[in-house]
Amino acid sequence: MRERTTPLPGTPLSDAAVHQGKVLTLEWPSSLRYAWDTGVAVGRFLSELKRGRIIGRRCHRCQRVLVPPRMFCERCFHPTDAWQYVEDSGTINTYSESHIRWDASRIEEPILVAVIEIDGASGGGLLHYLGEVRAEDLRIGMKVKAVWKPAEERQGSILDIRYFRPFDSAQDRPA
Amino acid sequence: MGSTEHVERVTDLRAWPGDFPVSHLYTMGIAGERFFRELKDSGRFLGTRCAACDHVYLPPSLFCPRCFAALEEWKEVGPQGTVRAVTTAHRGVDGETLETPETLALIQLDGADDLLVHRIEESNGVSIGARVEAVLKEAAQRQGSILDVRYFRPV
Repeated sequence: MRERTTPLPGTPLSDAAVHQGKVLTLEWPSSLRYAWDTGVAVGRFLSELKRGRIIGRRCHRCQRVLVPPRMFCERCFHPTDAWQYVEDSGTINTYSESHIRWDASRIEEPILVAVIEIDGASGGGLLHYLGEVRAEDLRIGMKVKAVWKPAEERQGSILDIRYFRPFDSAQDRPA
Repeated sequence: MGSTEHVERVTDLRAWPGDFPVSHLYTMGIAGERFFRELKDSGRFLGTRCAACDHVYLPPSLFCPRCFAALEEWKEVGPQGTVRAVTTAHRGVDGETLETPETLALIQLDGADDLLVHRIEESNGVSIGARVEAVLKEAAQRQGSILDVRYFRPV
């Protein structure tokens, strides 16, 4: 704290005081359950993932293909016009080695996560895991392809794709 | 304008279920610490009194919300009191159905001007105005929680 900073009023409590039981505490967990209405666009997107396909929406005005699909083009202020299947491959737009989970808790083995621009879509991208690759071999612009769960395990979830792996688009096989 | 697409069959509606795990760690504060320590260690209820407003706060407050004076007069209240409101709860705090409905009451401990919510047991129903007393856990089992009071019962 800088010298000229006036200390805030109140009674500070240290972590140690709390965790060593020097003060009384009350701890309780609560579970905030929710059901998020997927709407038309993401509902169809998830249904298609279950079938092993990625679908987007085309806007006829700007000619973009939106993945994940939206029923409204935020660029044209116009309802999107048609469904369009896209590839299950794409390009790494950005990536990171993450040592924390989505809820900010630490994990033992870091995970590789990336934003992937899907082939056939106009920019944007899906946030997903990368696999079958070491962090040091990753680079922006790398071509990747979805590794799907077996059909019987798919539930209409973004995790129906296990991860994306590097691939050689010319030969359509693992790089 | 392109036509918008609608979900026409209820079975086509999709929702994604999720869960936020949230846990709370509540510290009692200065007045709460003293209130719960006293309950845990001595089985007594302490309130604070504002002499200017002639009001005894329970649970205790460090200041008077009526006149903003700092409160330093601690006063033992209870353990007997009077039922000021009563209801039967068929659901628990998380909305779950209770197998055995519970009687909950707002109780004014003797000497306090505020009300405390707690369970009523050992009773076939109490009415407003009924006299009740606190039944505490054994000292060794008390943890500094309002549940150190197991329930209130008719006197």
